[in-house]
Amino acid sequence: MAEIDDMLGRVTGRADRMLCPVEDTLNFIAATAVLFLMMLGVVQVIMRIRWLFSAPIFGYIDMIELSMPILAILGISYCQRHGVHIRMDIMLHKLRGRTLWVVETFNSVVALVIVLLLTRFSWVFFMDAYTSGDSSVDAEYLTWPSKLLVPIALAILSARLLIQFLGSLRLAIDPKRELIGVIKPADVADQAREEIREALGGDEVK
Amino acid sequence: MIIGIGYQDPILVGIICISLLFVLALLGVRVAFAAALSGFLGLVELIGFWPGATTAASIPYAKTSLYGLSVLPPFILIGFLAFHAGMTAKLFDAARKWVGWLPGGLAVATVMAQTGFAAVSGASTATAAVFSRIAIPEMLKYKYSKRLAAGVVAAGGTIASLIPPSAILVIYALVVEESVGALLLAGFLPGIVSALIYCAIIVLWSMYKPEVGPAVGGYTWGERARSVPGVLPIMLVALIIITAIYGGWATITEAGALGAFVVLILAFFHGMRTKQLKDALMETARLTVMIFTLIWGIYIFVTFLNFSTVPQAFSTWIVGIDAHPYLILLGILLGYTVLGMFMDAIGMLLVTLPIFYPAVMALNGGDYVLAADSPFGMTKDQASVWFGIIVVKMAEVCLITPPIGLNCFVVNGVQPQISLQDVFRGIALFFVADVITIAVLVFFPQIVTWLPDLMRGG
Repeated sequence: MAEIDDMLGRVTGRADRMLCPVEDTLNFIAATAVLFLMMLGVVQVIMRIRWLFSAPIFGYIDMIELSMPILAILGISYCQRHGVHIRMDIMLHKLRGRTLWVVETFNSVVALVIVLLLTRFSWVFFMDAYTSGDSSVDAEYLTWPSKLLVPIALAILSARLLIQFLGSLRLAIDPKRELIGVIKPADVADQAREEIREALGGDEVK
Repeated sequence: MIIGIGYQDPILVGIICISLLFVLALLGVRVAFAAALSGFLGLVELIGFWPGATTAASIPYAKTSLYGLSVLPPFILIGFLAFHAGMTAKLFDAARKWVGWLPGGLAVATVMAQTGFAAVSGASTATAAVFSRIAIPEMLKYKYSKRLAAGVVAAGGTIASLIPPSAILVIYALVVEESVGALLLAGFLPGIVSALIYCAIIVLWSMYKPEVGPAVGGYTWGERARSVPGVLPIMLVALIIITAIYGGWATITEAGALGAFVVLILAFFHGMRTKQLKDALMETARLTVMIFTLIWGIYIFVTFLNFSTVPQAFSTWIVGIDAHPYLILLGILLGYTVLGMFMDAIGMLLVTLPIFYPAVMALNGGDYVLAADSPFGMTKDQASVWFGIIVVKMAEVCLITPPIGLNCFVVNGVQPQISLQDVFRGIALFFVADVITIAVLVFFPQIVTWLPDLMRGG
């Protein structure tokens, strides 16, 4: 049993290490997109001033709409790794040891099922746009590259959820092992530390 | 469940899937995924596998690629950069010079500075964190009671979710398909009223017990005047956002982008490093994804709910109750208080609004009611904005009350020498203030509806 367990730990750990840089990169792209959209907004306001340029950016709204999935969905797996997606953890805090990890295993299966379903069918949604040459209303930009981001991001999220499933399963088998590929359930005090780190920029956490 | 597709009673399927959502959420499945799965299964059951699955899977794209939602990232970014722009200390300094002479003057100054900071921050916990560091040490230096110092910082943070730019009001507007601009403007006066009620209660309490909050005076008019330029940048950002919404010279997204740009420049002048900018951007992306995932997850569920006709049935039931509409509203608000003990504010709004919002609108008399015929004295547009502000205020009260009370944990996290018990005891006073505020907003809806009505030209 111990040998199987170790192997599970090794596989999960290696997959985790492989996925992390991918997730970090995707979230960095999203972060850059935040800056880009901000600058685009500023340029749009300046270019629209009547007595100055009076030349608003052509297709500005389409551009924003098509780039929103970069900000809104590309980092979804990064968020899952950091446990940012909200949940009610009032019951989880009462659980310890094996029970906790059995419930966490169940939770990751539930999430994995729905995310796999959505990955599959958002691919259909993308293919429809690709084959029909669907384009945006004003500037007639093609929509498929933007729609393709959804199945890509969800597929990566599926990989993350699979890692979390294996990690939880391993701990459900033997709760005494070190945590690999799972999120340690956070209580309100942990959340508060996280909020403080976000607001004050990292040097303030005690 | 797949067996007998299309033959079930939609209400029954609705009730089963709502129960499934609650069981999954209680077990600790991330709310977005619990809602998406329940909604997916329900849709498949009601309209068939292929149509149900493709409808559900089109929602993550459809609900993220909306221009209206693009306002969120710049608003969130402004909040993350605001601390680095160094405007908070100057705000607090100016406020104490102007109102420090009042009983409980430093606490009043804290509320005023937080209200000002709210104009560049849309997040209540962040505001509490920032002021825990700036205002609490000053108050303790002047022998303020720990409880008052901690309570005012935790409670004052909640003002940020009413005063624009408020992320949670944007989310409300999008869920109920109301104008984002109307909601943001509507929050402005209630935010001020809430702050004034906080100040009044601090002054009264400090007059009754002078030792908890001594007055700090002795500033000359010259010193006061010199403190004003420090707060101008914040006023500029607030002015950009509010005039853009009100005057329509830019869309809200553009105003948000411009506001974020101004704060970014200020932050660089104040010595922010590239590393901190990168962190702020990464955090913005993270929070954006969290909110959007919740939005599309819940929306899959809402799409199913509308097929199930449960919201309509609930509205009919609510309207049929033989009690005064205000009493029913009170019941709904009490429901929020209970839910708020278990859920985060954004999650709570998203889960409850699809059912409660149509019910309250029906209670007000439906879509085409005249103000004179409505039991609350409002048209549908007015009622929708009014309910939004009240619900958001309710959700914020949950941020300062046990057992979750995240703001209290934040204060304790930054100032560990003040115990959590002391923070929660310090909150009691402000809890009373919040109950008064909610009552005022319920019975004087004009405070909420006046600005949006002006914007709509009504």
